[in-house]
Amino acid sequence: MTRRTLAVVSAGLGQPSSTRLLADQLAAATRGELVRRGADVEIRPVDLREHARDVVNHLLTGFPSPALREVLDTVAGADGLVAVTPIFNASYNGLFKSFFDVVDSDALADRPVLIGATGGTARHSLALEHAVRPMFAYLRALVVPTAVFAAPEDWAGEGADAALRTRIRRAAGELAEQVDRRPAAAGPADPFALTTSFEDLLAGRDPA
Amino acid sequence: MQFGVFTVGDVTVDPTTGRLPSEHERIKAMVAIALKAEEVGLDVFATGEHHNPPFVPASPTTMLGHIAARTERLLLSTSTTLITTNDPVKIAEDYAMLQHLADGRVDLMMGRGNTGPVYPWFGQDIRNGIPLAIENYDLLHRLWRDDVVDWKGRFRTPLQSFTSTPRPLDGVPPFVWHGSIRSPEIAEQAAYYGDGFFANHIFWPKEHTQRMVGLYRQRFAHYGHGTPEQAIVGLGGQVFMRRNSQDAVREFRPYFDNAPVYGHGPSLEEFTSQTPLTVGSPQQVIDRTLGFREYAGDYQRQLFLMDHAGLPLKTVLEQLDLLGEEVVPVLRKEVDSLRPAHVPEAPTHASLVAARDAAADLTGAENGR
Repeated sequence: MTRRTLAVVSAGLGQPSSTRLLADQLAAATRGELVRRGADVEIRPVDLREHARDVVNHLLTGFPSPALREVLDTVAGADGLVAVTPIFNASYNGLFKSFFDVVDSDALADRPVLIGATGGTARHSLALEHAVRPMFAYLRALVVPTAVFAAPEDWAGEGADAALRTRIRRAAGELAEQVDRRPAAAGPADPFALTTSFEDLLAGRDPA
Repeated sequence: MQFGVFTVGDVTVDPTTGRLPSEHERIKAMVAIALKAEEVGLDVFATGEHHNPPFVPASPTTMLGHIAARTERLLLSTSTTLITTNDPVKIAEDYAMLQHLADGRVDLMMGRGNTGPVYPWFGQDIRNGIPLAIENYDLLHRLWRDDVVDWKGRFRTPLQSFTSTPRPLDGVPPFVWHGSIRSPEIAEQAAYYGDGFFANHIFWPKEHTQRMVGLYRQRFAHYGHGTPEQAIVGLGGQVFMRRNSQDAVREFRPYFDNAPVYGHGPSLEEFTSQTPLTVGSPQQVIDRTLGFREYAGDYQRQLFLMDHAGLPLKTVLEQLDLLGEEVVPVLRKEVDSLRPAHVPEAPTHASLVAARDAAADLTGAENGR
């Protein structure tokens, strides 16, 4: 049985948080689909709120605290990432952006990512497409086609709830498919590893 | 083991008084700190090099030449010399000149420490940071060793039949350290040439130092310069002391909280636990510093950053008194007793001349002369 890890990053600020609730539902649906495909799945939830000060400290000092180091390694070393943010001012919130600003720029390359967002009105929903998706595209992550936005009405009325569940199931299926296609993640890259020979450096040759 | 101070040369407001020293005041303060370093028995004074405000040391050899004339035994060094944006030809000439004036009391530390906008002021591009450091140093290394150099590279005009003058004192170039926080290529560069490696070791967790020094030691041996334990390692360090540790914390906290590098971020307590910064009594500084060798191995040079974040000169001089009188004598005794016999001291001009002569004698004997 293949062992898979899913990092589940939530930038919700409230306690309890509807953002975390959406993140949990996306994670559970993805796990269900991966288990159906024969994987053993470990979910690693990351509530950014708990690391808010460490994230800002890292922005200022250039290095993470030991606790934040662990979180960054979790995200960099997972087979798949579920990333969910509340939408503020037509984009991800500052905490979400600040966190991904301190993630190593190569850490998410070719990593399957499912993006989700919550907001006070459905009119925020395309922020996922014009803000969140481009950020992960910049990080060269593989963002699955279905992004999941949950507005207040999605948590309410019966028919709307069913629609949200359908979207969650579709997005989770897409993420599971991408995770399943790839070999197990090798873990975070070693930033201190020497990747070129001195002869190549002297000759002005770029590492292959 | 060599002990000393290194300075960035920042002009920073004293957060407790709101007072900003003038550039003139700061430059004179740096000289006063160097003279004090010799007075209290330290071995090394190293100055940074910067070409933008709020920093003043744009002309390190001018400053070090002046200090050389006013000191007797202090070793003069840099922290760092910008190998990226300086012309290696000018570095070769300036530091050979300084070496003569200071009767050999000179070494230098290569570094890239610069921000993007600085590079183009000197005709360079920060994206070439590592390639510049590699090519420029390789040329510098030759200019000090070959009397006549023919050379062609990517970053400066070619040289034909060029002789860098003056030639190094006694024909022996100054010893070179390479400083880097997290670029393995620079540890590799230091190892390749058998030069020293200096880990900044002030603003970052000890794990950076441990990994970089470990890589350097392993590659030093790979290139046949000795065993990993014989590689030449220097470390930074940052301390603030008062006899009573609570007084040190109380006095340093406003400087910490407003410092350019870490101010308005982590607490003093977080930062002291996550980096080598030590704020406390001389004994605490001794204990913490003795711990460095546990992850860096037995090393040759320990430099402390003492004058930054707006600390007034009077306070810095008091810090140097404590460092020279209470901390370094104990550290010197302890590390010398802990260091195995096969681990060398840091090279000096005298030891490099002796090594060169010994090698020449050996060659002579082998040739049956």
